[in-house]
Amino acid sequence: MPLSELPFTHGLWLVYVVVGGLVAVDAVSWPQVMISRPLVSATVGGALLGDASAGLLVGAILELFSMRHPPLGAARYPDTGPAGLVAGASFAAAGGSAILALVAALLGGWALGWIGTASVYARRRVNERLVTPVAELAARPDLLERRHRLAIWMDVFRGAFLVAAFLVPTAALTGFAAGKPVGPVLLGYAGAALLLGIATTTGASARMTAFGLRGWPLLLAGAGAALLVLVVAT
Amino acid sequence: MKPQRSDRLTSWWRTFAVQGSWNYRSLVGCGIAYGMLPLLRRIHAGDPVRLRDSVERNMRSFNGHPYLCAMAVGALARLEYDGVDVQRLERFRTALRGPLGTLGDRIIWVEWRPFCLLVAIVAYSLGLGPFFSTALFLALYNVGHLYLRGWAFRSGWEAGLDVGRVLRESWLDRATGRLWPANMVLLGAASVLVGRSVLERAGATGIPWFVLGVGIVLALLAFRWPRRGGSLAVLLLVSVPIVWVLISLGIVR
Repeated sequence: MPLSELPFTHGLWLVYVVVGGLVAVDAVSWPQVMISRPLVSATVGGALLGDASAGLLVGAILELFSMRHPPLGAARYPDTGPAGLVAGASFAAAGGSAILALVAALLGGWALGWIGTASVYARRRVNERLVTPVAELAARPDLLERRHRLAIWMDVFRGAFLVAAFLVPTAALTGFAAGKPVGPVLLGYAGAALLLGIATTTGASARMTAFGLRGWPLLLAGAGAALLVLVVAT
Repeated sequence: MKPQRSDRLTSWWRTFAVQGSWNYRSLVGCGIAYGMLPLLRRIHAGDPVRLRDSVERNMRSFNGHPYLCAMAVGALARLEYDGVDVQRLERFRTALRGPLGTLGDRIIWVEWRPFCLLVAIVAYSLGLGPFFSTALFLALYNVGHLYLRGWAFRSGWEAGLDVGRVLRESWLDRATGRLWPANMVLLGAASVLVGRSVLERAGATGIPWFVLGVGIVLALLAFRWPRRGGSLAVLLLVSVPIVWVLISLGIVR
């Protein structure tokens, strides 16, 4: 999709950048009310372009993919706030229906999530320098407060920068994927790959919450119950 | 001087930013000191040397779940107010790290957050609108979040040195491991319902039924080997553009 056809005005782009800062800072720095989860940020990303459902679908899939990366100890996990926002917006901008666009938005979001993680690690190094003169900061608590707040603002700007840098390229790529004609072979393969990807990541994510190996019958029971509901409903 | 209610409220509010300056040297240590400052200023009012020493002590390395760090902030401030000697305070601080991290991680990150997310995803798939589903997640999650932060801070401030006993006897330990069965069922249901939504939206009908069987096998294998399963899931996504290119080049028909 040519850049001129993307539905982002300067004002709307700026709104995304601001929201990007907010969803980024929420993940770790403040206030951790979970607007940084892809389910929320991707829905907002889609809603700003008038298609909240498209955003939520992307967010739900990203959620299933990132659920196996809880922030335990020193574990690395994707920075899902800006990633979800960009992915949700990209899929909505591409019309919110083409399967290749969905895959492109998901891949873009997943990649941005890990780029975001790298930026989080870099920010932590900067924080270290900010709060290292312990004796000086202890003697001047007001300086400690300013440094701490500065660190939080840096996180806001980090998220805003990620969205500013990656929103348009990801949306353009997703739009390009949406504009291509898809034959039955590719349509079938993409659908099957997405379903199998969701199934596989579900299994991996389930293990994170299962407290051992004994949970798989419940996982199957849930899937079976949902299938039954779908069969009865149709 | 005893901290006033407004000091405690300000301190509690600051615990929302306890990880604001997270770093590899002191972890959340600086955030703990930042959270305690409104209380410390009152406790050590008129004694800048004791205030400085106290801030320096509390800026040292500390770690814990961010919501339960509110308990550390409350308890450590209480110890400062009670005038507990420095060595005992240090031992207490060290002893608090483990339980606050382990308990919080297990209850919030492993159980409560996935539960709320999955409830919202299933609710959306069953017909609740996108805004209501998202709002459902945020409301449900944050009821638990705010309650935990409030309870933790209050318990810390009231119990002081006795906070270990409060933790042992609290609902936190009993609550651990309660939600995972529900999470498993919800996760299984969510994967099927999200999969259906994908096919509906993309018009990718005609997916053969054996894909469902392969999906079940892959899910079970990924459950047994989650690291490899997670990588395979991403590879499956990456394979789509590769197949697309191969079809475009005429290599695959």
